[in-house]
Amino acid sequence: MEKGNTRPSWDNPMQFVLACVSYAVGLGNVWRFPYLCQMHGGGGFLIPYLIMLVLEGLPLFCMELAIGQRMRLGSIGAWSAISPYLGGVGIASVVTSIYLCLYYNVINAWSFWYLFHSFQAVLPWAHCPANTNLTGHLEECEAATPTQYFFYRETLNISPTINDGGGMHMGQALCLLLAWMLVYICIVRGVASTGKVVYFTASFPYLVLFIYLIRGVTLHGAVNGLKYMFTPKLEQLANPTTWINAATQIFFSLGLGFGSLIAFASYNNHNNNFERQAIAVSLINSGTSIFASVVTFSIYGFKATFNYEACLGRLRLLLLNTFDLGEDAISVDNVTFWVTELNQTYPDRFATLSNKLEICSLETELDTAVEGTGLAFIVYSEAIKNMPVPQLWSVLYFSMLLMLGLGSMLGNVTAITTPLCDIRFLSRHLSNETLNGLVCLFCLLLGLGFTTRSGNYWLTMFNDYGATLSLLFICYTLHFVGLIHLDRFENDIEDMIGHRPNWYWKIVWAGVGPILIIGLFIFYIIIYIMGGTPTYQAWDKDLVTVDSAPQLSFSSHLLMHQQKAVIYNLYLLSATFSIPKVFIRIYSLEGGWVYQC
Amino acid sequence: MLTDLFLTLCISTALTAVQAENRCSVDAKNGYKVRLSIKTALGNKAYPWDDSEMFLFRATLAFAMRVYTKSDQYNVSSVHVCDETPRVSFWFVVSNDTELVSAEDVEKAVRISRNRINSAFMLTDQTLEFVNIPPTLVAPVQPGTPPWLIVFGVVISAVCAGVVMLLLSSFVQKRRKKGILEDENEEERCEKQNGATHEVQEGSDDFNQIFVEASSSTKL
Repeated sequence: MEKGNTRPSWDNPMQFVLACVSYAVGLGNVWRFPYLCQMHGGGGFLIPYLIMLVLEGLPLFCMELAIGQRMRLGSIGAWSAISPYLGGVGIASVVTSIYLCLYYNVINAWSFWYLFHSFQAVLPWAHCPANTNLTGHLEECEAATPTQYFFYRETLNISPTINDGGGMHMGQALCLLLAWMLVYICIVRGVASTGKVVYFTASFPYLVLFIYLIRGVTLHGAVNGLKYMFTPKLEQLANPTTWINAATQIFFSLGLGFGSLIAFASYNNHNNNFERQAIAVSLINSGTSIFASVVTFSIYGFKATFNYEACLGRLRLLLLNTFDLGEDAISVDNVTFWVTELNQTYPDRFATLSNKLEICSLETELDTAVEGTGLAFIVYSEAIKNMPVPQLWSVLYFSMLLMLGLGSMLGNVTAITTPLCDIRFLSRHLSNETLNGLVCLFCLLLGLGFTTRSGNYWLTMFNDYGATLSLLFICYTLHFVGLIHLDRFENDIEDMIGHRPNWYWKIVWAGVGPILIIGLFIFYIIIYIMGGTPTYQAWDKDLVTVDSAPQLSFSSHLLMHQQKAVIYNLYLLSATFSIPKVFIRIYSLEGGWVYQC
Repeated sequence: MLTDLFLTLCISTALTAVQAENRCSVDAKNGYKVRLSIKTALGNKAYPWDDSEMFLFRATLAFAMRVYTKSDQYNVSSVHVCDETPRVSFWFVVSNDTELVSAEDVEKAVRISRNRINSAFMLTDQTLEFVNIPPTLVAPVQPGTPPWLIVFGVVISAVCAGVVMLLLSSFVQKRRKKGILEDENEEERCEKQNGATHEVQEGSDDFNQIFVEASSSTKL
């Protein structure tokens, strides 16, 4: 069957590269990597990161592209073609992608929400709203900060625990609908439409990052953040968590194991030089992470300096008010001098201040490491509201977040639609557009659950606990296959790009890579077994802190949910081991792999 | 008699003096502390605090009392100020002829005219502080449609229009392709029928063109 002729393909190899870049460069580059840098010794973190890129990220990336390009099928078909017993691995990929699609687009919905709220004279997260008697600000907002209040109360309308369901947030639901419609419009015709969209989604974030770089480093106090980042604390390298986090970050950052890369590569020309492209995309991805963390750290520095100086200002005011000194007496620079001075001269009066006295420290401000949605939506918007012309910066920033998220979504959805379109039965009865539309509709309806009041907790659960084990297992299988069928693999690669892979590839595919993946896998299994109840941080309206809430009453339910996810994936894999020859196929051992359904 | 008169005069002045002193003091029962942070608010354009500014303050406060009570019994002399510090903070009380106006009334008067008092000094609620009087915040403006909904409406209409256009165009394309394919099938059928009587082309080798033609038209 000459399905190769009828299969759609990218207009040119550049579209494929940009699609991979757009998929790999996502929100994690902006909100996870800077956090890891901060936690694991600043500039020193680059060492384990780059080592893991070379040993683990690049080989797996290249292998996925090779499989996709060779099989010219989505993940289910490609894995089934490698071995009929491994069809379940493909299904596991698709299931993991579905899980990811469900909650990832909700983050895009939040980006839309913030983007639309930026078109106001005063940004809504700049000030606390007034209370009902107009005597002051709302208590909940006073205890926290306006940006936190806007995120947790007005954007999410979050409930106190994961048990309290609450209704849907209409604004969020509308934004989610818009997000899915946008995704649909980008994938409606498969690669024909995706190929054109990725020109924009891949390049726009770089433009904004560049603008932010210039803006960031010229902000007052940015230097503090940059110094903090670039002073390496090399003792962190002795900590094994550093290496494990580096490996996991590379893994997730490149989006391995979801089947998206196989799907993208399946639309390639048979002789496309994927090896060079794999190296290019991986390097671009890591480079973007580093670039984004420079921007993030200059923003951190600005925010920390701003807060530190505000703290000093408050201290100055406190001293002036208590001791009735003229405003010229104390300036922000010599506050600390005056604190000691006044303590000596008027010790008893100073004692009355003891409970109101804050300790202002730039280091503590810089040490507050934030990751994830907290960084993207709270810390950044706090920094933006203090910049001149905040509306412009806000619009730029949230559009960038949107493009980053959209680019990754295109890959995720393609990982689902490509295997579905490969199924003859479906593609005969339904057109491409209808199939894609049904997938988007399905994900939208299920995703509405994340727009409820407890939706953010579910999202955190899915994000933190959902995918790791199954992805690691998939990638382990990938390595295993590479190890066993190395010769055949090399032959196919030579057939595609004209030369055999050199010694570096052979070592990492067959030697170092599998060992690393097994190590990671064992580590996470141990964590899973020992970890006990999954936890999440809850927003307590009365205390107004974000504390760690191990939900004891709900834990069994949650654990069951998590176990269900992993077990389901494992079940699928094991099911295919025990049910031989489910698919009708022609399997040729000598001449390569041919899949036909 | 003169001594009696002198005594009563002395006692009465002493009493009024004591009363005047009791009227305004630190932590006075019906008084409030005011704190100004002129340099923080105005920076280079800060004006120095002197007696004229104090006079303005007392006048503004008398104005606030007049607005609140809707009477004109309050003057600059009704407002007494004491305990001025270099911070620019002081205590004040308001007297109504002989007795002091209660703290609640003063508070209400100040809250109603807060905006006017602030603007007389080009200061804000934070820089012109009445200790223990909560600030009056501006009532939030409730627009008819929330502005975000407008932007959302624009974007979603554009996306909808895009979706509809794409679907329509692909539908039209498919129709056209079906039409062309039908024509092509007809042509093929005709060609196959005529293939047997096809002549050998010039400039070619001794090659059976018919065989070549036939194989190229039978697609698998």
